[in-house]
Amino acid sequence: MSRLHTKELTLGYDDRDVVSGLDVTIPDGRVTAIVGANACGKSTLLRGLARLLTPRGGAVYLDGKALAELRTQDVAKVLGLLPQSPVAPDGITVADLVSRGRYPHQGWFRRWNDNDHDAVSRALAATGTADLLDRPIRSLSGGQRQRVWVAMALAQETDLLLLDEPTTFLDINHQVELLRLLRQLNAESGKTIVVVLHDLNLACRFVDHLIAMSDGRIVAEGPPTEVVTADLVEKVFGLSCLVVPDPVAGTPMIVPA
Amino acid sequence: MTTTASKVDIRPTVDVAAALRRNRRRRTVRATTVLTALAVLVFALFVVTMMIGSFRIGPFDVIASVLHLSDNAGVDFVVRELRLPTAMSGLGVGLALGASGTIFQQVLRNPLASPDFVGVTSGAGLAAVVAIVLLGTGGLVVSGLALGGAVLAASLMYVLAWKDGVTGYRFILIGVGIAAFFDGLIGFVLSHAQLFEARQAMHWLTGSVGQASDTELRLLFVGLLVLLPVAVLLQRPLRALDLGDDAARTLGTRAELSRAALLGTALVLVALAVSVAGPIVFVALVAGPIANRLLGPATGGIVAAALVGAATLLAADLIAVHVLPVALPTGVVTGAVGAPYLLWLLATTNRQGAGG
Repeated sequence: MSRLHTKELTLGYDDRDVVSGLDVTIPDGRVTAIVGANACGKSTLLRGLARLLTPRGGAVYLDGKALAELRTQDVAKVLGLLPQSPVAPDGITVADLVSRGRYPHQGWFRRWNDNDHDAVSRALAATGTADLLDRPIRSLSGGQRQRVWVAMALAQETDLLLLDEPTTFLDINHQVELLRLLRQLNAESGKTIVVVLHDLNLACRFVDHLIAMSDGRIVAEGPPTEVVTADLVEKVFGLSCLVVPDPVAGTPMIVPA
Repeated sequence: MTTTASKVDIRPTVDVAAALRRNRRRRTVRATTVLTALAVLVFALFVVTMMIGSFRIGPFDVIASVLHLSDNAGVDFVVRELRLPTAMSGLGVGLALGASGTIFQQVLRNPLASPDFVGVTSGAGLAAVVAIVLLGTGGLVVSGLALGGAVLAASLMYVLAWKDGVTGYRFILIGVGIAAFFDGLIGFVLSHAQLFEARQAMHWLTGSVGQASDTELRLLFVGLLVLLPVAVLLQRPLRALDLGDDAARTLGTRAELSRAALLGTALVLVALAVSVAGPIVFVALVAGPIANRLLGPATGGIVAAALVGAATLLAADLIAVHVLPVALPTGVVTGAVGAPYLLWLLATTNRQGAGG
């Protein structure tokens, strides 16, 4: 059984259900992308997986236990999330921000020790942000800033890492750079990564497992090479297109018809 | 696996661990230095407050008298009976306002969101004026009602502004509206007061550290002894809340609970301060930002802000009573100094686009 999965999960805001009755299994040690048109419920699903939304029906299971019944701080040691729009306090420096990722490992009275130090050092090195230590976040470029946030999530040292549209405000170069970084983190540490993505081509190129959603339901699940067809794209995005092999990687590539 | 991912160049060009250690040490040294310096400054101002006046007393005589180490009836009377209450009140009220202000500003993520600005102080003020003018009471009843007024104003704010989150100016505008509403009611109550009570209430409303009664002071210090350590503990979730609710929750905080505890603590502190000294303006507004300047950006130290609050208030009282040609209530001085700061703050937050 996978470490993170859902059973008949129903999530929503105020008076309406956004996703209902979802059975999702996140493969361990893989990079998974959730894709779909705007407002299809992909971010909602991710927020549900991260415990930011309480299920209205069904449940999310982490290591066999219902997520809602676990202690927040225990969940935070296993499951990390990079929110869509995290807030950087005015003037905060890279070192300070990344260090805050250690929060769940500290206590009311235990503040900072060698484990924290090592975890933050590793996170900075892995994301290539070590040179930026003393820089205020505000002074960084969009790509650097996103890597710093990833570094904070890494410092949390969770086995599972969820990212909500981390490439949204990045140019194509930095989008690719970020996805390569996620691939590398997965390859080096076996971290399970789930990422909500807009760009289907990039998703096909960089992830192992795809979850395609439409209207709050799952339309297809599996490795991109197996599930991405012109038919699926038509169904999920309402776009008629050709699917050809990516000339570099051979993964499916969508070309609008 | 389908990618041919060429590796991102992630090799650090500096020794990361060493650089990080240096960075942390620098921050620790800075925090220790700042806190020590502030504590010394506050202590010095505390002693100076008891030294000067129509009858000057040396610093060691003051300390000896306060600690009951000397026996000089004249000095003891002036120090212990006349000047110690003022100094204690300046110290306690300043600590409470500084801590409370920075908590409000950080939880609401806005430098304008200090309690004297978003109507909390006005709520406490209204309740206190009602107690003085209409009920003719003093002491504990005033303190209790002031706390009730502060809670009332805060709940109004919560109901009217909270639902869609607390970012942007909407929240501040509603706070300013609530402040205006309560200030209007204060005017109404005053217009129905007898001359003597109205004068008394007006004096109280300007804010002065020299008017504290023993009961109120004792209550304030009991409150501080309990709540300052609580605030220090709550600094931890506050650092997570700083990053936004989603990030705070994924880091393992119970965001709503922490926020309620932080605001509750800040509310009681400001209500106690108001009940002792009246609604002294601007101290709560400036203490946090000054502490941040001293400690470094985004540090948000509650203790440092409390100490800055105490130093500011003690200094303002010295100026109000001894430097100006006519002795004035403390609130006049804090207001005169604070207003230009506020204008500067309004101008710069808009320019940075941080106001929402």
